[in-house]
Amino acid sequence: MPSNTIVERVAADLLKYPPFDRLDQAALLDLAASVSLAYHEEGEILFRKSDAQKEHAFMVMKGAVRLFDTIDGKEVLVDLCDEGDVFGVRAIFSRHDYVLTAQVAEESLLFEIPADKIRRLLETDPAVALFFAGAFARSFEEIEHTLSRALDADSQSGKEPSYRHFLENETLEVKPVTSVVTCPPDISIQEAASIMSEHNIGSIIVVSPENHPLGIITDTDLRKKVVARPGSIKEKPVSEIMSSPVYTITGGKTIADMVMLMVKTKLRHFCITADGSFDSPVEGIISEHDIITSEGNNPAVIMKAIMQADSPNQLKEQRDKAESLLQVYISQEVALHFISNIITEINDAIITRAIDFSIREIAEESGRERPTTEFCWLSLGSEGRKEQLLRTDQDNAILYREPPPGEEDAVHSYYLALGEKVTGILQHCGFVKCPADIMASNPVWCQPFSVWKGYFSKWIATPEPKAVMNSTIFFDFRPVYGQAKIAAELKQEIFGLVSKNRGFLEFFAKNALQNPPPLGFFRNFLVEKSRDHANEFDIKARAMMPLSDAARVLSYELKIPEYLSTSERFRKLATIMPGMKDLAPEAAAGYEFLMRLRAVNGLENGSSGRYIKPESLNKIQRQTLRNVFSTIEKVQKTLNLRFQLDYIRD
Amino acid sequence: MTISAIKTFRRAAALRRCRGGRLPEAVCGYVRAFSGSQRLRRSLQDTRFVVFDTETTGFSPAKDSVISIGAVAVDSGAINVGDSYEVLIRRDDIGDREVVTIHGLLRKDLSQGVDEKAAIEGFLGYIGDSVLVAQHAGFDIMMMNAMLKRRYGLELFNEVIDTASLAKRLEKGPYYNLAHKSGEYRLDHLLERYGIRLYDRHTSAGDALLTARLFQILLANARQAGIAELKDLLLK
Repeated sequence: MPSNTIVERVAADLLKYPPFDRLDQAALLDLAASVSLAYHEEGEILFRKSDAQKEHAFMVMKGAVRLFDTIDGKEVLVDLCDEGDVFGVRAIFSRHDYVLTAQVAEESLLFEIPADKIRRLLETDPAVALFFAGAFARSFEEIEHTLSRALDADSQSGKEPSYRHFLENETLEVKPVTSVVTCPPDISIQEAASIMSEHNIGSIIVVSPENHPLGIITDTDLRKKVVARPGSIKEKPVSEIMSSPVYTITGGKTIADMVMLMVKTKLRHFCITADGSFDSPVEGIISEHDIITSEGNNPAVIMKAIMQADSPNQLKEQRDKAESLLQVYISQEVALHFISNIITEINDAIITRAIDFSIREIAEESGRERPTTEFCWLSLGSEGRKEQLLRTDQDNAILYREPPPGEEDAVHSYYLALGEKVTGILQHCGFVKCPADIMASNPVWCQPFSVWKGYFSKWIATPEPKAVMNSTIFFDFRPVYGQAKIAAELKQEIFGLVSKNRGFLEFFAKNALQNPPPLGFFRNFLVEKSRDHANEFDIKARAMMPLSDAARVLSYELKIPEYLSTSERFRKLATIMPGMKDLAPEAAAGYEFLMRLRAVNGLENGSSGRYIKPESLNKIQRQTLRNVFSTIEKVQKTLNLRFQLDYIRD
Repeated sequence: MTISAIKTFRRAAALRRCRGGRLPEAVCGYVRAFSGSQRLRRSLQDTRFVVFDTETTGFSPAKDSVISIGAVAVDSGAINVGDSYEVLIRRDDIGDREVVTIHGLLRKDLSQGVDEKAAIEGFLGYIGDSVLVAQHAGFDIMMMNAMLKRRYGLELFNEVIDTASLAKRLEKGPYYNLAHKSGEYRLDHLLERYGIRLYDRHTSAGDALLTARLFQILLANARQAGIAELKDLLLK
């Protein structure tokens, strides 16, 4: 009798892939006991076109096999089989010779499944029969499709569509106005205004005799500081009302840079100087108008509307607009770090406004003012990492300073009320509540510094796998509103705790290896089995989390104090870890690709984008994914080595 | 006397005992399987290899005993799942507790195993004259031989391949001295180096399967290196 352990081990491998996932236990074990495991090296021919069929079909467990036809002496690739793909079945089915040649594309472990077992399964198991029938129908179509495409491509060679590079998209450069109108600081406001109307311009730069920018006067300055004021100050020098200093930059900025700058500084004019400082001559000027006219969709407009909103409804409206902006950016293949920066700024602004509204509302409803005990609103998880492109679950918390003795309950109850209101508004704006209730409205996650320190101390001092898994989102906290200093202090406390408990990092690292990526990935995916997402690929758990987890561990190990996104973390790591110099940027780029893929999928399906239907991906996306998977594997190996995880037992 | 001469001599002695009815038939079947002088001239494709692993109560052949054996055959370069063997040996002389403390991870109820006689005879019948393969084979062979000797006054006649040595030989050449860094050729490290994903490493059958996966790759590498016949693989 064969070894149960070995048969069960092989059965567990078969079970991972259709159609064998549909078999009952007895049939599965019977099948497993009949299998042979064959190892083949790259380049080996398994069978050739018009060879007589073998007495077994093949299933790829590791590696890849290419199936090709030979037409007029030319090889035409019909399919590339990798993990989980079954091939060589048609011959068994039709009892004909092979119609394609199978060659090992990368060293492979193949399961050889006896033909008679497959025939019997086809007869006895309708689910299996259906699977193979479907596969045949599909693969015939695929063959025709592939062949006709291959022939087309052949006939018009050199006309391959060129794909724009998705990671380093070059956005257009904003053209500054170079014929800048300037004036000295001592001319009168009156004179300056007449120069502006003469040239029909909205701003004038005030310069020193060396042509260095001293300040700027805009339409708004004239309106607010001159016209709106009683009495005449028109005769006064422009230096009295100019905005100073001017925000100076160097030339050559892209639209993306400028929009970012506008969103961040909330300014509308930027002066270009020779070396970017205000101690060098003026070369040009870029105004909001220039930026807006070079870009139809404008996040600054959304940002402005959010800042000026006076009701939660308006916030929701703007967030919906941001989503269509996101769609435009994604379709234009704008660089992802730019997109995520913009969306994060917008999300943060919405949170900020939601907190303003809530504080006001509480005061109006119950007359309670915010306690003098300072607080800080924390975004957690992907939002904390500035990676929330689509509106997914809320994960947030409130951290406040120790209240004065006797006021603990009052302070807690105020911030809890605030948490409830804010999370309510965010929900209204489309950020659904966290199913695990990790929100500022939960008394557990609305706590003073000492309690938060206690939480982290417990997670770090006595790590256990499940607790580590559940606590990772807290380690990605980022202050969004209130006293960022409290958050910074908390982070320093955590660094202290982590250096005292080295074992924690190992647990943390081990957690990052929970999800090994599928190594091969082409036609059939490693898809989910659960009923809700059957046959979909979980891009978050299987590809993104392994990377974000790894980046987090290393960031805490190396005590990086900034609140960074996963790709920013990797780029930072590249500069401080000599061993990661090449791998980390690769991981950063890979992560951004995954984020984009998830966003595209989410926008198309109106979902979180987490589950991807394999057939919806195009060939380039699949190939890129394949590369990303090998990067993930390398990152995991690095962690494994660094933390010596082989020696830790479950 | 050369090793093969000793083996021939020992085998003749065993056959005499068989004729005298002093060895059980199952054991005699095993002894008789080793006939024919051309056995070593077989091609690697035509050779049946049995990759096996044992679990023991400790490291002393005198005091400790084998408590489980797991094995799987490699035929024409393919691992034949159906042609596998697994046995748990009942040890009435040692309490479970002792084994558990020695192994740490082993929590099997040894009372469920078969007795030693049935286990040995089953194993000998299963391996026949196949070439035995194991990771750090010296130890497993030593423990098996100690058991065979105690019970039947016999030792294994099979040719043996050690996967660690084979890997070393293919990677570094036959004369490479790795005494100072033997860790590189631990099973875990070899598996990782050859891209074999580790899973539960707590049973002899599980380890036998992993070792077989490794051996399969080594065998392909050996063919690439021009080793075509069994005698070349065995360096004979």
